[in-house]
Amino acid sequence: MLATKKLSSSLLYILVIAILLIQIYPVVWLMLSSFKSSIELTTQPFAMPSSWSFENYASVFRESSLLLYIKNTAIVTFACLALIIFLSATAGFALVKMINRLNSKLLLFFTIGIMIPIQVTLIPLFIMYKDYGLLNSYPALILPQVGFALPLSILIFTSFYRYVPGELLEAAVIDGCNIYQVFFRIVSPLTINTTITVASINFIFIWNDFVFSNTFTNDKAYKTIAVGLQEFIGAFGATDWGQTFAAISISIIPIIVTYLFLNKYVMAGVSDGAVKG
Amino acid sequence: MNVLKDKKAWLIFILPALIFYLGTVFVPIIQSLKYSFQQWNGIQEPAYIGFDNYIAMFKDSYFWNSVQNNLVYVVIVVFMQVFIGLFFALMLSYVTKGAGIFRTLYYLPAVVVTVAIAQMFRNFYSLQPLGLLNMFLDWVGLSHLQSAWLSNPHTALIAVSIPEGWRFIGMYMVIFYAALIAIPKEIEEAATIDGVSGWQLIRYIKLPSIMHVLSLSLIMCTTGALRGFDIPYIIGVPGSATELVTTYMYKQAFSTIQYGYGSSIAVFIVIESLLAVLLIRAIFNSRKGDA
Repeated sequence: MLATKKLSSSLLYILVIAILLIQIYPVVWLMLSSFKSSIELTTQPFAMPSSWSFENYASVFRESSLLLYIKNTAIVTFACLALIIFLSATAGFALVKMINRLNSKLLLFFTIGIMIPIQVTLIPLFIMYKDYGLLNSYPALILPQVGFALPLSILIFTSFYRYVPGELLEAAVIDGCNIYQVFFRIVSPLTINTTITVASINFIFIWNDFVFSNTFTNDKAYKTIAVGLQEFIGAFGATDWGQTFAAISISIIPIIVTYLFLNKYVMAGVSDGAVKG
Repeated sequence: MNVLKDKKAWLIFILPALIFYLGTVFVPIIQSLKYSFQQWNGIQEPAYIGFDNYIAMFKDSYFWNSVQNNLVYVVIVVFMQVFIGLFFALMLSYVTKGAGIFRTLYYLPAVVVTVAIAQMFRNFYSLQPLGLLNMFLDWVGLSHLQSAWLSNPHTALIAVSIPEGWRFIGMYMVIFYAALIAIPKEIEEAATIDGVSGWQLIRYIKLPSIMHVLSLSLIMCTTGALRGFDIPYIIGVPGSATELVTTYMYKQAFSTIQYGYGSSIAVFIVIESLLAVLLIRAIFNSRKGDA
């Protein structure tokens, strides 16, 4: 009995580790490959790099505008995050903690947004941006990303606010706080974890966005990484893979580091969204 | 509590988000609907043509081909994300040591930029220079099966579907895992005392307990795949083999500049997603009735 239990437990671990390899090996392989020369890539694809050469990285920085794209992506991402957090924290608060007969209908209306395919907005937004000269600008990317991030973010905030006891708010009101003070001084300090959850989930979505960036920008000055990386792919498939892998590594490292630091909050957001919502 | 009923303050809290949401999500939907009844190439004045775009769409064999491709794409993506994701989550729910680390690392592909995933797989499938998959086939002595997976019209659609399926397996796993470990321990213990074990425990206790999460995930995953775009657009082949409804809409709108026709395809995508949601909910509700 004990022996079978031990056997099945080791089998379980073997399987779990095999799955782990499927999930992360491609990313690890890509990072290792970024240190290899073109010749080594074709002759020794699975081996560790024979020497840790940064030549691919040097040529990426020398020959491409990757740093500019990283800067653009960072500007767009952080502007979006600031807006998303402010808008969903305030709206979520009013929807759950304030008393208004429209609350449940409005929450439902926001929630529907999760199902809406972003592609349906591309043509109208493109035409509108063209009319107002907003193509190739940061707002062109920021506006729709904030709009589409609101449903899930508001949902996560409301599921937290429900746990904030009403007595706490009442006590603050009796002590003479007005509603804005209740929100900013009493409730907001409690939402730090929820705020990090909302920020980290949206950080991943926005940093990685391809569709909006590909549609609304074609000027180098405003391109983000997701679109800029495309430049490394030769028109007729003549791709310098070593350089491509280096560029990819540079662009995914910020997000992987952020994720590894904040994974607790990302996990909370992902499971909250579906399990509680 | 009059302070909490303050209508003016309520508006101040709600309006900024509502305006953003209406302006960037809802107004464009209504405009899409309007454009879908127009013929417009962006240069001449738009002209109302009634249902002509929709009629043209239903007669367009290239469009139907993209619908068909999209269904294959949905099947592959849903199978990988929901079924394999569920399998991973069940495995992980039996792991006692290090489950947290495994969970974190399984999720990793979901945070990597799509373009990176797409290019990674382009290299993986490549025949010239020899990519990872073909090298592997060579290594295990199956070199006669080597193929340019992405440009071979028989395998191209599957080849663009797999990366999308693979990258979010971890996300659905996290969702299912959270639901599985939230099942009250007493239920499992009671069942074990009654002699229920192994597969039966999963089939009759665990899966029914997470039915709600399963149906929600199936909805999320299916609607996500119906609007799948990035990977087929980035590494898909020219021609019809890897064309999905969204990529076809995109090309109609932004390459051939037919805003009207593109909009009618966009409206089709919305309706198709809504139908999928209703269908999945109906299936789950009728099964609830059986039990």
